[in-house]
Amino acid sequence: MKKLLSALALSALLAGSMQAVENDHRTMLMKDMRTMLESMEQIQRGGLYSSSDEMKAGAKKLQGTLKTLESEEVKWILPKDQKYAYQFAQKTSKMLRLYSDDMVTSIDAGRMDDALEDYTQLLKQCTSCHIRIRNW
Amino acid sequence: MDRRVFLKVVAGAAAVAVSPSLIRGNLYAADGRLYVGYEKAQIVDAAGVPIKVSALEKEVTYIFNYPYASTPCMLINLPEPTQQEVALKSEAGEEYVWKSGVGKDRTIVAYSAICAHQLTHPTRNDSFIQYVAKNKPTMAYTTGGVIVCSSHLSAYDPKAGAKVLGGAASQPLAAVVLERADDDTLWAVGVLGSDKFQDYFRAFKPEFKEFYDGIAQAKTLVSISAKTVKLTEYSKELIQY
Repeated sequence: MKKLLSALALSALLAGSMQAVENDHRTMLMKDMRTMLESMEQIQRGGLYSSSDEMKAGAKKLQGTLKTLESEEVKWILPKDQKYAYQFAQKTSKMLRLYSDDMVTSIDAGRMDDALEDYTQLLKQCTSCHIRIRNW
Repeated sequence: MDRRVFLKVVAGAAAVAVSPSLIRGNLYAADGRLYVGYEKAQIVDAAGVPIKVSALEKEVTYIFNYPYASTPCMLINLPEPTQQEVALKSEAGEEYVWKSGVGKDRTIVAYSAICAHQLTHPTRNDSFIQYVAKNKPTMAYTTGGVIVCSSHLSAYDPKAGAKVLGGAASQPLAAVVLERADDDTLWAVGVLGSDKFQDYFRAFKPEFKEFYDGIAQAKTLVSISAKTVKLTEYSKELIQY
């Protein structure tokens, strides 16, 4: 009986800590998503006000949010019914990195048309992932 | 130039202008629209040896790039004969007719591997689009035997000109028009349907720098031959839902 009670207590403790980890990851994701939104707004503002520094700062801020999405940890933060699609989220984050890198390269080379096209593609990646993962 | 010759030239030019596919003497689309003839390219293996139609494994996705160096296409030997004279419609509402597969049993088909929805395509790193064998499950459709884009779960019918069966895609995949020669070799001669090549070139410029040394190389037209390998060899990782 004592053993059984100990086992039950241990399971409850484990389940609780798993839930806590998941909640931590979700909180982190929500924070990252808010930062992503801010960085996209910053890039757009830079484009509209002809400020390449602002665009580059936005790109850097965006890249700072990609670590979780790129890693295996992404499984923790996806909705339960979409966990299986974590590789899609990883691919999206890879593309976000690719386009934001290219945007900085394009700005440095003075190719603003290409930089703004990169911004368009970044936005497409965001909406594409939201359509898929959040069943939008 | 005498009057008879002059009239022949004018009539010929008018016919070609109305229906460009007549240049090759073949009318693939019902009215000649949505067909673009490209340089005829022989499908060869990685070593450059011409592929024999009879040697293509059933239900395996092969990849070759056509009509451009960077535009991937799927080549599939289906388990059963394709339908014939399939009426299809592009997202712009243009109607066209996909004739059928080629080969003795009309089982050989080829389609652009660029998804009509959001341009998902196989790269050297990964592929989210592929043919799913008949006995395999997919979340995109009720049965296997379909082409699935696992990005947003679009399903296409390879037996019917890649008609959309489900998901967000709004038009069929563009079809590669194939010709099987008497010696059992296979040739790509053109593209039928609404292709997404220009959108693809615009959207994936940074990727072309990584895989093709830039956009100019990526836009090079394929000539003489097109190498094909199995998708499992083309992409490091296959993702299928």
